[in-house]
Amino acid sequence: MEGKFQIQEKVREFILKTSYASDDHLNNETLIFAQGIMDSMGFISIISFIEEDFLITASDNELLESNFESINAISDFVFRKLQVASNQLA
Amino acid sequence: MGVKFTELFSKDILRFENVEVEVDRISEKLKADIFNLLKRKGAVIGISGGIDSSVTLALAVRSLGAEKVLGVILPEKDSSNDSKEFALKLAAKFKVRTLEENITGALEGFGCYKRRDEAVARVFPEYNPEEYRMKIGINQSGLNQFLPPVFSLTIVNNEGNEKSKILRINDYLQIVAASNFKQRCRMSMLYYHAERLHYAMIGTPNKHEIEQGFFVKNGDSGADIMPIAHLYKSQVYQLAEYLEIPEEIIKRTPTSDTYTAEQTQEEFFFQMPYIEMDLIWYGQENGTPPEEVGKVVGKTAAEIEMIYKNLRRKQKTTEYLRMAPIKY
Repeated sequence: MEGKFQIQEKVREFILKTSYASDDHLNNETLIFAQGIMDSMGFISIISFIEEDFLITASDNELLESNFESINAISDFVFRKLQVASNQLA
Repeated sequence: MGVKFTELFSKDILRFENVEVEVDRISEKLKADIFNLLKRKGAVIGISGGIDSSVTLALAVRSLGAEKVLGVILPEKDSSNDSKEFALKLAAKFKVRTLEENITGALEGFGCYKRRDEAVARVFPEYNPEEYRMKIGINQSGLNQFLPPVFSLTIVNNEGNEKSKILRINDYLQIVAASNFKQRCRMSMLYYHAERLHYAMIGTPNKHEIEQGFFVKNGDSGADIMPIAHLYKSQVYQLAEYLEIPEEIIKRTPTSDTYTAEQTQEEFFFQMPYIEMDLIWYGQENGTPPEEVGKVVGKTAAEIEMIYKNLRRKQKTTEYLRMAPIKY
């Protein structure tokens, strides 16, 4: 299972690539939707990205600000989901 | 409508005190614009049996006379049969000439259905259009938090059993892009008739559709004049009553009539009843404090504030659709 830091780096890289935001203006706590860094296509892209790269499917009731508002929120969400999946396998 | 009525905010704030004045104002302007500005001899309108195109047609008839208006019905294989029936009733009531142009063949030529179904089958491999109907819906929790909407694909089999899945971006974009052939085909056909007759093409979107981006760029937004583009939906209904649009059209639930499964506009895009949407949109545009709007529509100030934010986001993220080509 990937570590939290690796997940965070991947998420950050994806958001930088798809939003055209500059590295200096995006920290891991930046509110990516509230501050207009990502729009609705961006949100759908993030959902597709975590599905393809981490094999995680977000259910309807997980589409919450607390899970997607920033790089840290997304990374924590992915990490938690991977932990649950790995515990189920063990 | 630009005046702030903050202290007078009520459920009736958008009602025209004298609707006849507004109807006459639009009719006179429409006549002047078509004859003097565009120098055209009449008006072509695509009629779907919905409230917006019905009101637009009635305004055009009042403005130019029935003999200078052509109503075009543009069904395709996914259209509801009601649409044609209501459109014909409307045309009969206003004594307007109609033409029916079935655009199914053109859409097949573009690969509209094939391209859409290919993307749907990537999401649900069991999907085939003979056994299933499909639609795209918006995630309902979207307006209560500061997150953009997410779209789900729903397929419904002949027994009425539904399955839904959140769409991945590539599938979403392909389904929407393929479906948009419908509005663009309609626009092309309407311009054919407008040019053939030397008429103007009259578009039918209302204020919400334009400002929230519920239209297809160079599709239903392609027109010479949009005479109801400044009207909130409840105002369109007020005009409909005054213009004596057939009752069954007024009572009909607005649908998207784009996908094969039945779907209301509320479900597809607006996420709340139009009366509520109108009042909140007006409040947002005019800086009405959220608590005042909340009292009228039965929501808390925090909920209204969140909806304000989401509406502003929607307006901002759909700017691209309203932009004219960038010229160098």
